[in-house]
Amino acid sequence: MTPGVSATDIGTRATPLREPEPAPHCSPEQGCITCGDVAVPLTALLVDDGRGLALCRDEQGRRETVEIALVGEVAAGDELLVHAGTAIAHLGPGGRS
Amino acid sequence: MKYVDEFRDPELGRALSGEILSMVEPGRHYKLMEVCGGHTHSIYKYGVDDLLPENVELVHGPGCPVCVIPMGRVDDGLAIARNEEVIFTCFGDMMRVPGSEQTFLEAKAEGADIRMVYSPLDALRIAKANPDRVVVFFAIGFETTAPSTALTLKRAKLEGVENFLCVCNHVTIVPPLRALLESPDLRLDGFIGPGHVSTIVGARPFEFIPADYGKPLVTSGFEPLDILQGIQMILAQIAEGRAEVENQYARVVPYDGNVAALKVMSEVFELRPHFEWRGLGFISQSGLRLSDAYADFDAELRYEAPGVRVADPKACQCGEVLKGVIKPWECKVFGTACTPEHAIGTCMVSPEGACAAYYQYGRFAREREVV
Repeated sequence: MTPGVSATDIGTRATPLREPEPAPHCSPEQGCITCGDVAVPLTALLVDDGRGLALCRDEQGRRETVEIALVGEVAAGDELLVHAGTAIAHLGPGGRS
Repeated sequence: MKYVDEFRDPELGRALSGEILSMVEPGRHYKLMEVCGGHTHSIYKYGVDDLLPENVELVHGPGCPVCVIPMGRVDDGLAIARNEEVIFTCFGDMMRVPGSEQTFLEAKAEGADIRMVYSPLDALRIAKANPDRVVVFFAIGFETTAPSTALTLKRAKLEGVENFLCVCNHVTIVPPLRALLESPDLRLDGFIGPGHVSTIVGARPFEFIPADYGKPLVTSGFEPLDILQGIQMILAQIAEGRAEVENQYARVVPYDGNVAALKVMSEVFELRPHFEWRGLGFISQSGLRLSDAYADFDAELRYEAPGVRVADPKACQCGEVLKGVIKPWECKVFGTACTPEHAIGTCMVSPEGACAAYYQYGRFAREREVV
């Protein structure tokens, strides 16, 4: 298990922290990851197969709960291509040591 | 970083650029459409068009889900958002899209409980945290985003969440492409096919483009080298007299799509007979609504919405831009009355919009051309 992460973290992130301004993902410099046909690679930290969710992090260490129903088996350390909170492609065991 | 640095190598970029130059016939004009707003954004961010010969022109397609939402749908969303028990949720870019009177952001400033979310799952979480309110998710997007909404609705049903509703504005990519190809004022030589939409639907649904219209299509990734290679593959087909669907983005696009995603979409959604697209008008079977099995989650059935068609502002030429008939800077209000801060049309609102991409990356100084 990744240090500092527990199974209860999955699906319990406090969404209101990111309210209310349409930023930073929607800035013209970065584009909007949700509205456009854009997806970002994230690394799975914890997988809850029962609920079909994985806690993932991006390169900057930001964490996000992701639906994994579309990409088959996922293990901690795998890299996923994520769009609007859903993994749309499995990029392989990229981060696994 | 994996899948990024390898696709921004300047040496490889120059080599591809040289190869493209050697493939084009002097005196022939090549007009290629990048269907997807994500491609438009990358092309101008990385200056991909500057690496192309002068006779290869890129035309921007209708693939930005924010840009194609008509004003009437925004007005419908606003009418629902103004209900007191409603917490209205939508993606960030949607907040600034003008309805006939105001944007979601302006309605929020006037007191409506409108919140930005990054995913439908976030909206469901808000619903679970606020059982005494009704949370409405304003769903937009092509097939890339639709499975995300479908999975969340399925989860809501499974978990018995009754205070979560959806306004479904999801659209499909094939019907507008067919409409564009039928358009008499548009001549194209080939298509850069969408990347992440194809991750879901595959490359196979685009086979009608070479089969019925004789044009090549290459699904491409979003990094500069992906796009250059996609263009090179299209030009190779033209040079060899071929018209096929090819897949440059094979590292994430399965030719037959994502079966699990297509299955969940078919459970949760059904095709609308017609859906209005900004600038393109009504296109048959191009939009999705919730299926009968998910009717309890349909905000349009629960709340009164005007459902009125609202004409675009007269000065706005988003329609012509979306069809690739004019370039953004040829619009009468581009960079003057219409800027990202005070957008008149949707193409200037979304960063994936062709106008915003031109504006942001210094393309507004180009000479206006008479078309």
